[in-house]
Amino acid sequence: MAFYKFEEDDLFLNTVEAYPQNKFYIQSGTVYINNFPNLAGQNTANHIGVPAGFISLYEYNIDRPAGNSVYPFLFKNGMKDGFKVTPTASYNSAQYGDIITSSYSMSASIGRIIASATSNSASIKALENTFNHYSYLSPHYQYSSSLGDKANQTVNLITIPSIFYGSSIKKGTVSLKYYITGTLIGELSDYRENGDLVQIGPVGSTGSGSVAGVVLYNEGFVALTGSWELDSTTIKYDPAAAQTSKWIYYGFGVHDATSVALTTLSASYSLEFSGSNQFQTMTMLAHAKYGELNHSTNPTFVSSSDSLSVSTGSYQYIEQTKEIRNIVSSSFTDEDPKFEKTTYLSKVGIYDKDKNLIGIAKMATPVRKTEADQYTFKLKLDI
Amino acid sequence: MANFYKSLNQTNDIVNTRTLLHEAIPLTGTIVSGTYGVENIKNYSHGMFQSVYDYPYLSSSANHVFDITVGYANNSALSASTNAQNSKKLNIYNQMAQVLMGYDQTGSILQFDEDGDLLAGGTKLRENVFLNFSRLLVKDEIKKGSFELELGVTPVYSQDGNTVFGDRLKLTDASGSSGYLVNSPVGEYGILYATQSAGTNVLAINQSYPVGLLFYQAGVAVLSGSMFLDVSDGGILNNAHFSVSMSGPTTTAETINAVLTGSQITGAADNIRTRMYNLQFNNTVELNSTVYFCRVNHNEFNYSSNPTYLSGSKIRVKTKTTDLPVSYITTVGLYSDNNELMAVSKLSEPLKKTPDNEFTIRVRLDY
Repeated sequence: MAFYKFEEDDLFLNTVEAYPQNKFYIQSGTVYINNFPNLAGQNTANHIGVPAGFISLYEYNIDRPAGNSVYPFLFKNGMKDGFKVTPTASYNSAQYGDIITSSYSMSASIGRIIASATSNSASIKALENTFNHYSYLSPHYQYSSSLGDKANQTVNLITIPSIFYGSSIKKGTVSLKYYITGTLIGELSDYRENGDLVQIGPVGSTGSGSVAGVVLYNEGFVALTGSWELDSTTIKYDPAAAQTSKWIYYGFGVHDATSVALTTLSASYSLEFSGSNQFQTMTMLAHAKYGELNHSTNPTFVSSSDSLSVSTGSYQYIEQTKEIRNIVSSSFTDEDPKFEKTTYLSKVGIYDKDKNLIGIAKMATPVRKTEADQYTFKLKLDI
Repeated sequence: MANFYKSLNQTNDIVNTRTLLHEAIPLTGTIVSGTYGVENIKNYSHGMFQSVYDYPYLSSSANHVFDITVGYANNSALSASTNAQNSKKLNIYNQMAQVLMGYDQTGSILQFDEDGDLLAGGTKLRENVFLNFSRLLVKDEIKKGSFELELGVTPVYSQDGNTVFGDRLKLTDASGSSGYLVNSPVGEYGILYATQSAGTNVLAINQSYPVGLLFYQAGVAVLSGSMFLDVSDGGILNNAHFSVSMSGPTTTAETINAVLTGSQITGAADNIRTRMYNLQFNNTVELNSTVYFCRVNHNEFNYSSNPTYLSGSKIRVKTKTTDLPVSYITTVGLYSDNNELMAVSKLSEPLKKTPDNEFTIRVRLDY
């Protein structure tokens, strides 16, 4: 086996930016993520082992009966190793050597918080600095301005966990649609890419062209304040009284601790956006040059008639000379083709400076190499 | 951006540690042998093994659990050219043996040894069932001493599942935590012992029998076909109990030997799979960590470069000469030799720092 050192021009580090698309469809309090159905399993109400409308962060416990879940554990030791979900009190009360367990039934989904001066005001107040920070993008971010005072407005805050978008939501990809009995009554888009959610449809609808809210791209929030009437049909969004449809009612029933009345079943919503995720890749160019890598230590490289034979004596150990197998194909059966040293390259090993094997790249099919051939293999490693 | 750097002492302030994280992997037999019928069992056109999933495999939610296959050695009494898939069964055995056991000094493949003592010779395992567990479940390795596989060995075959589980054998690597072997090219392995777990007089003698090998890092269990045979047939079951009737290639009253010779590999896998009552093990993941002890002495880090620390060009918290300076530590930055910021650790809540107190902040980096 031959070792080659990567030269300066053989190694590249690149950053790849990916934009994973997400689509949520919400109807009568149930969320469908990327059109994935909430299927009941043989043992659980939702086969992926988390509540319907959520994604499972580990996807280990698929349709597992109670008491048969995969779970992580470790032994308490002096390094204070533990799990974040373990309460400090129970961790401290455990003896050294005791088993500390956790769970893989972790889930994530979008949520909805209705904040106003009288309820959940802390949720919106906590974002005051963040809103003001982005006011250089659009005046609609201002926490308090002539365009509105978020402390006293009703703000419909849609929360999006970062597992759906990575490092940030991609600007210009956010789309919110509001349907009544399947008919589109309002559509918001951030096509200006400045965070403004502008009503772009249906054409000629009430509020068309108005800004109904803003997006916090890095933090994963959609704040809707639009309170104009989108449709005259009254629906029981508010337990106390029926209301007409407005952007502040968008997503009603999405994990917001409200029960969905039968009258709201006619309303449905979709939320689409792309995330933005960066990851690094290393590209390595491995060269198989002319006249190199043309010998193999594989036992089949030599003629099968040459068995392993050695002559040994008190002062000698001599291996028998072996003949390399000629594998050049010929169209003629009565004539041996001219010998040509041929190997098949099947994998490339990556070694560290101490010659420890740290990675292997395998070819889909072995590559035939003669002394007259040369190849460059491009290896890509996500890091 | 810090304006004051403090060097870490390589000897006293930096410690490398290793943590072993485990996962419990329970697989009830019903996943393997019945919950989803055959929807979670995948067969391939090459017919050399069968894959078992934890959910119907056409679903993207399904996780691969293990592959099951069978094979025998070319010097096994079962080997015959007239057998179904004879060459494939030989190839399977040879491939598994050369990877897991390696070669002797003549270049010949070493066969699986019942007690792992290759020098002493002893009984070889020549007719085997192979369970290749998914890397998703095995992770770095199977935790030694945690493996349990319970097999139904009721002699009479029945299509309706549960009746085959009246008599059961439990296979464990009971001595694995201390008595594992290291003479394999793929790492450590332990002996699997069978004991009776349900029924009466199932085994020839009420003792534990070595019936297989468990390769911890490779995540492969090698089981002997002798588990399903009585003593007169060369197995470990009581002669009065009789050999187990599998759903053989022609009738439902044939032994495992008939299955290994007459059935396709997938058929043999079906037979063994439907005898699995319970399977569980723990795995191990090695987490390497470096702990940096960042020591904050009483006379250090009592001032801040934060703009809010000043009010009218005066220190906000120090209005009289006798006032002690106060700062709040929120973040610890780890810098390279060239003062390049490499990592940032945040405190869950700011620490109040005055000349009256000292801290040691423990920063742990897992990788």
